[in-house]
Amino acid sequence: MSTPDWIVLVATLLSIIIYGIYRSRTTRDLDGYFLSNREMPWYLILLSIMGTQASAITFLSAPGQAYTDGMRFVQYYFGLPLAMVVLCITFLPIFHKLKIYTAYEFLEKRFDLKTRTFTSFLFLLSRGLSTGISVYAPSIILSSLLGWNIYITNIIMGGLLIIYTVSGGAKAVAYTQQLQLGIVFTGMFLAGYTVVKLLPEGIGFSDALSISGKMGRLNVITTGQTDQGFDWTDRYNIFSGVIGGFFLALSYFGTDQSQVGRYLTAKSIRESRMGLLMNGLVKVPMQFFILLIGALVFVFYQFNPSPLFFNKIPIEEVRQTSYRDSLSAIEKQHAVLIEKKKQAVAKLPSIVSAQADAEEEKVLTEMKGLQKEEEALRSQVKKIIKSSQVKGEANDTNYIFLRFVMDYLPVGLVGLLIAVIFLAAWGSIAAALNSLASATMVDFHKKFLSKGQSDEQEYKTSRLYTLGWGIFCIVVAELVTGMGSLIEAVNVLGSWFYGVILGIFLVAFYAKRVGGNAVFWAALAGEVLVIGMYIQTNLAWLWLNAIGAIAVIIFAVILQGTIFQKERDKG
Amino acid sequence: MYNEDKPPLFKSWTSWYYLVIGFLILQVVFFALFTKYFA
Repeated sequence: MSTPDWIVLVATLLSIIIYGIYRSRTTRDLDGYFLSNREMPWYLILLSIMGTQASAITFLSAPGQAYTDGMRFVQYYFGLPLAMVVLCITFLPIFHKLKIYTAYEFLEKRFDLKTRTFTSFLFLLSRGLSTGISVYAPSIILSSLLGWNIYITNIIMGGLLIIYTVSGGAKAVAYTQQLQLGIVFTGMFLAGYTVVKLLPEGIGFSDALSISGKMGRLNVITTGQTDQGFDWTDRYNIFSGVIGGFFLALSYFGTDQSQVGRYLTAKSIRESRMGLLMNGLVKVPMQFFILLIGALVFVFYQFNPSPLFFNKIPIEEVRQTSYRDSLSAIEKQHAVLIEKKKQAVAKLPSIVSAQADAEEEKVLTEMKGLQKEEEALRSQVKKIIKSSQVKGEANDTNYIFLRFVMDYLPVGLVGLLIAVIFLAAWGSIAAALNSLASATMVDFHKKFLSKGQSDEQEYKTSRLYTLGWGIFCIVVAELVTGMGSLIEAVNVLGSWFYGVILGIFLVAFYAKRVGGNAVFWAALAGEVLVIGMYIQTNLAWLWLNAIGAIAVIIFAVILQGTIFQKERDKG
Repeated sequence: MYNEDKPPLFKSWTSWYYLVIGFLILQVVFFALFTKYFA
């Protein structure tokens, strides 16, 4: 990376830390530290919600997804606006009325202490581990592409934000997220603009869309239908997006403290509602434009030689193994393919300018065939990486966008885009640390360890918990370094728990006759079912959220009507 | 008395909910046409 890029990167990161510390002033009690004294306006709630959900991987992975699989990933967000509406009608009025700090406090009021503690524990387990991965995932990509030491990158990725998160709590998190998102969107817009500018003369934005669409990258809506009927293993289609995405979003925004803690900081229920509903309006278009950048990067690589594999590290490692000859043979085939591609696309700008549709169709058909051949070669390389058991992922989707940035974007913009990755990570990690500390403090410390602390003591203890969780997440990031398969397992962990946690809350809201014991055992049974289905079937993971939630509701109603019927009658 | 839950622009929150759902439907229709047009 060049010196100007370093200056842009360091200046951007420092400005966020300084701004975070500047905004750290808050009252020295739990209300001030975890809820910003409940004084935030709706637009800060909106930006905080968006900044919490959009991690570094969102901005790295989405363009890569569009490059490899097309834009259909956007369907994953179709359930989100519906979830925002349900949240505003059901969850929000109760959370505001009870003036709670964590979502799980409500469960004790509705059921009992064990249900609250169990649910809060599931949150701490899944969010604690996944935040560690949120530190590691962008760090490994940056360290691979820039040659940075992974252990130091982990510490910078997860460590610097701790400074303002510990000192300023929820207020510092919200204000820095506002600035972070501004920089992130500016960076992404400039990247998208530059991709189009880098296309050959004669190929404009609409021509790029046409090429991308013809080559299957603008497949925004898919139905999951095959000749054998509906494909339940298909990850992203309109049905899994609307139904599975709805349950996932409802669980994430309604029961995950990292999100609940954001909109509880609002100065009124009106501000919370506006923040959530505006999120429902802007989220899908935002993801659409991020994916569109990936679809345009795909077009760029039709006119420029694309790497066989976007992460160089495992390729270099394979060269040191007995698989080097196989790799070398594939690389030779790829070089021939790139040459053919170059010859095919060379005619395209003049054909597009002359509006010779039949000729354009012919060239695009040829390019499509070459693309399929290239994808087959990429699959072979992935198999070799897996078989040779070298370090590094056999999937390079998350590396595509950043590799493009490093290789083709102008000086200065590279530094800004690297900063974008850090800031996107910091926004979601800071909110996660704040929520982990609030759940630990309110659901465990105040409940079981020390009940009579003063406001000042509680404030100081909360800061220590934030620091403790920050260190925990960095340790997780350092430990998973070099354990590729474990990372995937931890990412799946969220889908094991989200549905079940949502089921507990839905029973609380809608099944008034169900008591604490019934829902507690139903949640345990639901958890076993979800994990069992994950292990035994190939069901796409988005469905697990819906299954977990529905299973808990059904089990709870059955248990209440049978085994725990006497308790209800007594009550 | 100031009602802290009064929605902006519309008379009720229900109108906001219809707006969010209506906009989603509009986007899905737009995306379907977009997919078909560029396929």
